[in-house]
Amino acid sequence: MNSGLFFALGTLAVWAGSVFAFQAIVALFRIVFSTESRDLRSNGRTVLVSSLAGAALLVVGGVGTRSEAGAFRFPLVWFVMPWTAWLGFACLAMAIARLIQTLTAINAEEQRSKSVSLGAFLIAAFVFAVLYFSDKSNKIEILKGGILLHAPVVAGIILALIATTAAMVYAARFAAGRGLAKMLVSQITLMVGCVVFGLPFAFLVITSFKEDRDMSSKEGIVWIPKVQDTIPFKDPKNPKFEAIYEGKKVVAGIISKKGDTALLDIQKPLAIRGITFEAKISDLKEVPTDAQIFSSNLKGTPVKGFVVENLDDGRKTLQIMEPQSLKGEQHTFMPAEVEPVRHVGLRVQNYSEALDFLPPETNGGLVYLKNTLILVILNVIGTLSSSAIVAYAFSRMQFPGRDNLFRVLLATMMLPGAVTLLPQFLIFRTLGWIDSLYPLWVPAFFGSAFNIFLLQQFFKQIPMELEDAAKIDGCNYVRTFWSIMIPQIKPALAVIAIWTFMGSWNNFMGPLIYVNSPENMPLSYALQLFQGDRYGEPGLLMAFATLTILPVLALFFFAQKYFIEGLTLSGLGGR
Amino acid sequence: MSRFFINSKSIAVAASVLTVGLFGAGLAGAQPAQPAKKNTRTEIVFWGVSLGSDSKGQDAVIREFERRNPDLSVRVLSMGAGKMDPQKLMTSIVGNVAPDVINQDRFTISDWASRGAFRSLNDLVERDKNDPEAPKKEQYYDSCWEEAMYDGNLYAVPTGADNRILYWNRARFKEKAAELEKAGLDPNRPPRTWSEILAYSKVLTEFDKSGRLVKAGFMPNFGNSWLYMYGFMNNASFLSEDGRKCTMATPEAAEALQFMVDGYKIVGGYEKAKSFESGFRGGENDAFIVGQVAMKIDGDWILNTMSRYAPALDFGVAPPPVPDDRFYKRGRFTNEKDTFVTWVGGSSLAIPRGARYPEAAWRFIKFATSTEGRMVESRAQNEWEKLKGRAFMARQMASKEFNELQAKEFRPAAKNFADAIDMHVEMANYGRIRPVTFVGQVMWQEHVRAMEAACYGKNSPMGALKEAQSNVQRELDAYFEKERYPVIDLRLPAVLGVLALVGVVILMIVSFYRAKLGRLERGEAKWAYLFISPWILGFLIFTIGPMVASLFFSFTQYDVLNEARFVGFKNYAEMFGSDKTRLLKALSNAAYLAGVGVPLGLSTGLAVAMLLNMAARGMRFYRTVFYMPAIVPGIASAVLWSWVLTPDPGKGLINSYWVKSISAWMGLEVPGWLTSADWAKPALIVMGVWGAGSGMILWLAGLKGVSTTLYEAAGIDGATPGRQFWSITFPQLSPIIFFNTVMGFIGSMQEFDRIYVMKPNGDGPIGPDDSMLTPVYHLFNNGFAYFKMGYASALAWLIFTIILVITAVQFQLRSRWVYYESDK
Repeated sequence: MNSGLFFALGTLAVWAGSVFAFQAIVALFRIVFSTESRDLRSNGRTVLVSSLAGAALLVVGGVGTRSEAGAFRFPLVWFVMPWTAWLGFACLAMAIARLIQTLTAINAEEQRSKSVSLGAFLIAAFVFAVLYFSDKSNKIEILKGGILLHAPVVAGIILALIATTAAMVYAARFAAGRGLAKMLVSQITLMVGCVVFGLPFAFLVITSFKEDRDMSSKEGIVWIPKVQDTIPFKDPKNPKFEAIYEGKKVVAGIISKKGDTALLDIQKPLAIRGITFEAKISDLKEVPTDAQIFSSNLKGTPVKGFVVENLDDGRKTLQIMEPQSLKGEQHTFMPAEVEPVRHVGLRVQNYSEALDFLPPETNGGLVYLKNTLILVILNVIGTLSSSAIVAYAFSRMQFPGRDNLFRVLLATMMLPGAVTLLPQFLIFRTLGWIDSLYPLWVPAFFGSAFNIFLLQQFFKQIPMELEDAAKIDGCNYVRTFWSIMIPQIKPALAVIAIWTFMGSWNNFMGPLIYVNSPENMPLSYALQLFQGDRYGEPGLLMAFATLTILPVLALFFFAQKYFIEGLTLSGLGGR
Repeated sequence: MSRFFINSKSIAVAASVLTVGLFGAGLAGAQPAQPAKKNTRTEIVFWGVSLGSDSKGQDAVIREFERRNPDLSVRVLSMGAGKMDPQKLMTSIVGNVAPDVINQDRFTISDWASRGAFRSLNDLVERDKNDPEAPKKEQYYDSCWEEAMYDGNLYAVPTGADNRILYWNRARFKEKAAELEKAGLDPNRPPRTWSEILAYSKVLTEFDKSGRLVKAGFMPNFGNSWLYMYGFMNNASFLSEDGRKCTMATPEAAEALQFMVDGYKIVGGYEKAKSFESGFRGGENDAFIVGQVAMKIDGDWILNTMSRYAPALDFGVAPPPVPDDRFYKRGRFTNEKDTFVTWVGGSSLAIPRGARYPEAAWRFIKFATSTEGRMVESRAQNEWEKLKGRAFMARQMASKEFNELQAKEFRPAAKNFADAIDMHVEMANYGRIRPVTFVGQVMWQEHVRAMEAACYGKNSPMGALKEAQSNVQRELDAYFEKERYPVIDLRLPAVLGVLALVGVVILMIVSFYRAKLGRLERGEAKWAYLFISPWILGFLIFTIGPMVASLFFSFTQYDVLNEARFVGFKNYAEMFGSDKTRLLKALSNAAYLAGVGVPLGLSTGLAVAMLLNMAARGMRFYRTVFYMPAIVPGIASAVLWSWVLTPDPGKGLINSYWVKSISAWMGLEVPGWLTSADWAKPALIVMGVWGAGSGMILWLAGLKGVSTTLYEAAGIDGATPGRQFWSITFPQLSPIIFFNTVMGFIGSMQEFDRIYVMKPNGDGPIGPDDSMLTPVYHLFNNGFAYFKMGYASALAWLIFTIILVITAVQFQLRSRWVYYESDK
């Protein structure tokens, strides 16, 4: 514990020392590049104080954190402790800060308020301490660590730091230089932020183009996808045929032949692979398959060949392509002896295979897309039309009970969906709508409280004169609503349309509860099922996920402005 | 609002893209999925199996059945229902869209049967007793047949009968022979008792210098054993004879659980073992097959994998080790007949209630389970494996007659494989089954929860079992006590509700005509009522009606398939009684997600907003990147993140960088994220923070709204930037903070989608040790997996009340610290 404490303090000293050293360097460069004598004196003082303090702290810290001889270790420390201890220490730190503020307060009022908060933090710290000590198993562990740095790396970092500092300090002398430096700094910070936020997305897209062998690697994530070279090959031993099964083209291999019919085994599409069927031999058309190319070593000669046969124990039989002298020969190799011949490229087959795995009745996923689009379109139409007309009536028309009804509407905004989930299921069940899309879009045609409220706010802002003019011109209410009012709130409608689009595109619990057969499934649910089925094949999974994202991304690029406005509106709704 | 205008071009483009897409999809969908000839046949829908090259046999049975029955065809749905997804099956039965044949795990049969979800097969078996194809009790292992019965009726026909035996790696034993001998253990034979297997494991387990598990001797639940098997060995009962009392918390079961805990201690704890396991995954990379685990208790399915990927593996088989007393016939076990016991499980075929073609379904089941049909299956699979140059490993079957027949006919050439099959056939006679009870699934889940809680060290074995027991008992009581509660006819409240509605409408119409309105006003009002009618209707049908119904249901016990019973406040009492722990866990999970997640998300959003508030080129691009996570559809991003958060550093994005930085610097091991009870919620929060970049839009709008004069004044007064932030920016932005905090908590109470997708597979706890359970997830499970409409409705009302109270409190408190411009 004590050595751990020393280490922690030492780490602190090293960090503080480094900051002081950095400050000293900055001040030094100020002196070098500066012309004014006033700067000279104050900077000189800074250099002196900082370098002394820095050196002293670094020495102390270096001693405190020294763990082993050899490479330099920039110390790091971490405390493993329960949350009570964390909060206790946080309160203690706040209390100390308040204490200092109390002592340095400029007037009595401030002193009083600070000391009250000091007391509050102390009490909180005490409570956490009691909580901490009440559990005997609680303990604080100090983790000693450090970034191991080799001398050249240390030198490089220090040099780079010094050079950058020099350049910055120098640039700061001119307005143009300052602007450039500022721009560089902001660009770099933005870039870093982008990398952090964009990384998972990049991971998604790149994984969807990777081969299975690149999914896991000891060196970390493989960021540059490679694909194996292939060559079209008609296997004489095990030929593949194109045939018709239940009206669809399939690729199959022959299991056995009897007279003029053959028993076939489907290999593609993958969703029905393994199904056996019979076909006339005369209807079959031989098709080549893609044979993978490997390189290996045959008695000292490097060779390159394509796979003729994959044996079950993992061995591969290659037909040699290079060198010329051995071309056409076939040899069998152990799995460890062959190395795939690969080039940088995208494995686009992940996409076609992912779709190939979907149940045949979904037409390679098109049915899912169709269902999602049906839902999205009907939901958007339903929500827009119903919410707009209801909001219009609430905001621009007079009728008995209006304000009370509107209060009821506002109250329903608080209602969580959970309360009505089960009875709604029973309603749809009574209607016989289970395993259909109706439960997922019909409710949209009855307006939604939040959207009505929002549109009502927009309608209220439209000047009364417009409506009066329309009335005088002989417009009835429907006409006024449609021709006068709707054009005025188009932007709000666009925002609501986008929310609804996103909401129904993402809806998951609904399909999960109401839909059973693949014919009625929307994309979101299909993706979840796909994940369950193909968890071991991230390439295919990510390809399918990317496909479900693409349409939304496309919409985002077309209507970015409304997305962003929409978010602002939703977030400020409580204002 | 002048900033807005509809960019007609972009909308037009978007609309045309959508239309073309829809049209294309519609065209594609219009193509006949199946040729016309099929339409004349009756189609049997068969759920819960998938066809592929590994199920050539199954495929052959179906083809043969279709050939023999030209009037029938079988449609297998590989997607749509998992064997273990009760929610899907139950909704389809309740919704009257049930499949005709369902492949279900046998131990769940009594559960389904008790709810009247499956059709009894008694009449069919009785009618066809002279049909050689029809299943007969004498053909089957007693335990398997018994498991498919409920209340004296047969509800399913057993198919497979997997039992578990000990597989041990001879080569590894030889390698460690010297050390084993030193420890007084014989390296040439497998352990027979619990203390032996632990002693062997201790020698065979290896750690590296930094304490990472390199090779494991024995992990109690790696493979397939669970607490049930060890419990059976120790004569734990789990359920009383009459089936009315759950007896999970017995010393016998606690002892068995303690054995598991001890077993995990040897390999460095449950958490370590789990992450070790997940580094290998199943199939050809199975840790036993690649020699990383020396002993494993598993079912006969692993023979197939081994014969395919490791035919040369030097392994041996033995009965699974039993408690020492049992082996030496001491103490309680003095008069015990069987020295070794195992656990037998497996699937069965059943006909759900409401199946469209039960008669056709029965014909299919009869053929598929007959010795003849089984032979078709095994032969086809055997042919296929032969074609591929592999040995066929016959799976264990519930029909004793057939199981022994096929063990003779399809005998593997390799001796150790043949031995293994013999061992399985032998042990089938000593198979014990999970308690046959309608609470089978609940018991299973509770037993998994108890096992996890104890292995994680969160609870003592006895404590964990006691909790599980009380949860099961609650279900048992609910069933047995239901007679005490009066049946209510649901039509009555429905009629009353409709009458009340009509009354309200009449009242409204009357008051409308009584109101003194002018002609014009009356006309306007009529139009207005017409305009708001969609909302009124929606409010009545989808809001107030369901609300009242939900309140009503919360006082009943109702599962849709059976009549409702009025139980008063029982559901509410349960929430604060036997289900309290789980509910508190769900609420505290939500509080954790909101308490840590919302501030983190808000500050990330603020940081991003500050970044984007800088004047720099290419802002449009940056904004898009930061915004993108927010528009990625929820399910897709959950799928993505379950990979980003994979614990294996070679695969998971985060951990691949974690090993390079934090592990290298601090010596901290990579976190297990979603597979670890401690890290599951932080994982969700990390994912949430990624999406929170979009929150910056809010902040940007807010920041732009803060008047610059305030900063100027502060600058003149000499306030530092930090002081300016806390004294000006923060109070000015406080409405946003306030609003998001409220919404954050309400949101995390209702978290569902991403947890459903990201929780580790398998039933039982939602996330390890229920660490990802949220209130709404709890409601969903109660409501749709078990159709406990009453209890789920009570939960719904609790959630509603909590949300109301929190909102009210927040709105009360906001005046204390939230600054509103208009107030001053």
